[in-house]
Amino acid sequence: MAQQRALPQSKETLLQSYNKRLKDDVKSIMDNFTEIIKTAKIEDETQVSRATQGEQDNYEMHVRAANIVRAGESLMKLVSDLKQFLILNDFPSVNEAIDQRNQQLRALQEECDRKLVALRDEVSIDLYELEEEYYSSSSSLCEANDLPLCEAYWRLDLDTDPADGLSAPLLASPEPSAGPLQAAAPAHSHTGGPGPTEHT
Amino acid sequence: MATYSLANERLRALEDIEREIGAILQNAGTVILELSKEKTNERLLDRQAAAFTASVQHVEAELSAQIRYLTQVATGQPHEGSSYSSRKDCQMALKRVDYARLKLSEVARTCEQMLEN
Repeated sequence: MAQQRALPQSKETLLQSYNKRLKDDVKSIMDNFTEIIKTAKIEDETQVSRATQGEQDNYEMHVRAANIVRAGESLMKLVSDLKQFLILNDFPSVNEAIDQRNQQLRALQEECDRKLVALRDEVSIDLYELEEEYYSSSSSLCEANDLPLCEAYWRLDLDTDPADGLSAPLLASPEPSAGPLQAAAPAHSHTGGPGPTEHT
Repeated sequence: MATYSLANERLRALEDIEREIGAILQNAGTVILELSKEKTNERLLDRQAAAFTASVQHVEAELSAQIRYLTQVATGQPHEGSSYSSRKDCQMALKRVDYARLKLSEVARTCEQMLEN
């Protein structure tokens, strides 16, 4: 059973005014249209001359036509007000719209994060190869017994005394020319155990 | 806001009613124009007049139904929901992607420089 909820006075009054406007406009359109059709009937006996009667009918029809148009425009304004009221106060559809938007945004965010994780896995493989190539090439300024950072990290797990294994690479730390890859080196410290930076 | 991107049947119904009001006025004009002629086409006249009456009644019924629905649903309180939090999370995810792209382009540029040298 649909119970009439106690709306605030302003909302109740507003909705009643909408009803009244609707009834008035529809009545205006129908009445004016009916009267135009009636006026179109040509009568044999007129109180004034035919020309005068014709002028009067012409003017009346213009006014009634203008009334029909005014009532039509008032109905359009009513529909616009109803749309506005609906958007602001129709909670079920507002909730649904918010839920849909949240779902869309969450799906996009998960997609981005999933792609970033896949990218991270691919780039870590390439970065390992790049570092190997760099440190074993002649462009590296490290000493011969120095290990590339990647090797140093892998050796960490095998060494019984981590401090000795790391001291050699630390003494001959890469020169500033190895700058670009040095930025990637701390990234490995996140994946492995304690890195050399923690010992400095 | 003429159209709403998310599916909202009631707003679409109201837009249809707007179009129908335009059609009502057009029908009324056609009927009166037809009456003004020397030789009136009676069938067209009857058809247009019936369409006019039916449209007016349909518009009145639809708008009454919408107002009745609003009377049942409106609470008078403002709606306080928002999608701000998920929008912010999504923005941060897109920023992460941009940052990753920036860093990758730096690495690529460095590799190219090393190859040229």
